[in-house]
Amino acid sequence: MSAAGRSRFAGLLWVSPWLVGLCVFFLAPMGLGAYYSMTNYSMLEPPLWVGLDNYTSLLKDDVFKQAVLNTIIYAAFVIPLSVVLALAIAGLLDVDSRLSRLVRVLVFTPTVVPLVASAMIWLWLFNGDHGLINAFLHMIGISGPNWLGERGFAMGALVIMALWSIGQPVVIYLAALQDVPRELYEAGQLDGMGPIRRFVHVAMPSIAPAVFFNVIIQTITAWQVFAAPYIMTEGGPDRSTYFYSHYLYDNAFLFQRMGYASAMAWVQLMLIAVCILAIYAVTRKLWSTDT
Amino acid sequence: MSESRSSLSGALDISRRASLGVIAASAAGFALFGPRPRQDVPKDRIVLDYWEKWTGAEGLAMQRLVDRFNASQSEIFVRYLSIGSIDQKAMIAVAGRSPPDILGLWSFNIPSFAEAGALMPLDELAAKSGIASANYAQAVWPMLTHRDQLFSLISTCGTIALYINDDRLAEAGLADAPAPATIEELDALSEALIERRPTGDIEKLGFIHTDPGWWSWLWGYHFGGSLLDETTGTATANAPENVRAYEWVQSYPKTYGSRELIKFQSGVGFYGTAQAPFLTGRVGLTIQGPWMANLIQAFAPDLNYRVVPMPTISSIADPSRPVGLVDGDVLTIPAGAREPEASFAFIAWMQEQKQIEEIATAHAKNSPLTSVSDAFIAGHPNRGITAHNAIAASDRAFRFPKTRVWPRYVSEFDAAFQRLWLLQDEPASMLTSINARAQVALDQAAAMRARRHG
Repeated sequence: MSAAGRSRFAGLLWVSPWLVGLCVFFLAPMGLGAYYSMTNYSMLEPPLWVGLDNYTSLLKDDVFKQAVLNTIIYAAFVIPLSVVLALAIAGLLDVDSRLSRLVRVLVFTPTVVPLVASAMIWLWLFNGDHGLINAFLHMIGISGPNWLGERGFAMGALVIMALWSIGQPVVIYLAALQDVPRELYEAGQLDGMGPIRRFVHVAMPSIAPAVFFNVIIQTITAWQVFAAPYIMTEGGPDRSTYFYSHYLYDNAFLFQRMGYASAMAWVQLMLIAVCILAIYAVTRKLWSTDT
Repeated sequence: MSESRSSLSGALDISRRASLGVIAASAAGFALFGPRPRQDVPKDRIVLDYWEKWTGAEGLAMQRLVDRFNASQSEIFVRYLSIGSIDQKAMIAVAGRSPPDILGLWSFNIPSFAEAGALMPLDELAAKSGIASANYAQAVWPMLTHRDQLFSLISTCGTIALYINDDRLAEAGLADAPAPATIEELDALSEALIERRPTGDIEKLGFIHTDPGWWSWLWGYHFGGSLLDETTGTATANAPENVRAYEWVQSYPKTYGSRELIKFQSGVGFYGTAQAPFLTGRVGLTIQGPWMANLIQAFAPDLNYRVVPMPTISSIADPSRPVGLVDGDVLTIPAGAREPEASFAFIAWMQEQKQIEEIATAHAKNSPLTSVSDAFIAGHPNRGITAHNAIAASDRAFRFPKTRVWPRYVSEFDAAFQRLWLLQDEPASMLTSINARAQVALDQAAAMRARRHG
């Protein structure tokens, strides 16, 4: 074998565990999922070919439409709010002091709390009768709602909970902010810019790739939200927090409709891809305008 | 070039050594710390894997019986394995063609597993062992069958009845109040148990449909209704009896305030904890299964309580024929099991009165059998066990509707029930909407059955 051949062989050998993993645990399930999405399949009996029936059924399924709408509403609140909040916190923490180091730790801590534990904590915080949030509202003369029991508030409660674990984007924004050359801030200051204008006109263009990255990650996460609503509201009240992944899970494992769930999974992939492409297109347009 | 070749060769040498080292270390680690069987298995016996859902004290009770079975003969050895979300895991095991030898399911799983051919019919084996419907309480046998074929036998059984907290009644000055026999009497007693805080919030309630909130679908049966015509596969959710039942359900949030009731519910503890509202007296009347005795024993052993069948509307009330849900844990043999006769030997042994009563006592459940021993009644941890037994023996006991789309049907009920409770829908329109969606699911299942089996 030539040196190049041996080198290629060695390379392939070293990456082979990953390649095998990719094929066995990613490509094969995706391919099988695509096949099952065109079958009636309960897992207990062999799949029965139904063509595109599962996809057309999705269009007529009111619960599916509600799950999509709930997920879009959730994403529409969580993504922009978390970008703004994380940027604001990162901006405030972009100073080197003991206090800022402590606050960084505090901001990041919720990220390492297991999701189920977080959900249990928030379940009690949002408790309509004994919850701390309502106790605080009561102190300032407001009668708090039944956060998780009323249609109008349950979604808001889940959004608030999602914003609590904002540590990861804050860390990424903070790292990006610390990479912005200090000379640019100084130049802005010499031009008479205040701190807010410096943040918007100097820092923001420099950290745009980090914002783009976080928005993409949060879009994917929002479309896949499952554990917190599953534990805290079980999709209720009246399916007002019944999200896409929860309905997909129920179809797969509760209703024994693995074929239908596979179709939902493929549609979910497409919806996420469309969202990412849209974000990419908007971002590219913004960047080209700036240039 | 030669230098680069030599360095490449060196790198490959190191890589090879490293690879071998990693593989050897992994193999040694696996050998030293890898999985091991949890118990010694006799070599000369048929070994059966038995998957069951129970853990903790309930699992230990079953393990004791398994141990006794293993000691009682020398041909079969049963290995008891506690499995969480057993129906889902079983589904995957069946799909992977690696099912256990004995599978403990819930009775509502039978239609979907049986229709899919995932369970072995047991009629022949049962007949050979002398197991017949006459051995079982009236409501139990139909739970074990599907389309006139026997697919399971019972392990434990529980009926749902009304629990009355007598301490709470005494506190409210109702110590001598008789147990309600009709819905009207239940409403009156419930009303007398309401206690409010100075703020107007509800502190204590009599009865509330959302405690524990596990059976949003069953109220129609207590008004003479049902949810499915099993012979035609027609949903009957919007039958007039059901509409009347859900008008009664909605009368509670209408009377006491939807927001107030939701706030009350969020402030009481969960079932399974010391703060369960029936135990603390915040709810004076609740529906539960006989296993409630275990909860009372654990967290409120001095509680005075009574158990009676859940009341019905007065027009159908008949104390000799109580109405109530009967639910069961069942033993099945998955299709493709290696030793079905050996599996059935264990299941048949479990059907003997001694074993059935032992597990029922340990789980605080009622007996599924026609013949119930005096010792069982006397030694049972639930003082109201006779009420539970009476429901199981009643010709008006009801079970989960037998359809493989039941989980979809009930999920419609759960969502719609919340709408009803929030006063966002009327019972008639809610039930019509549930009926339509359930019928779609039933029709889809029927169409697929026709395509598969002709």
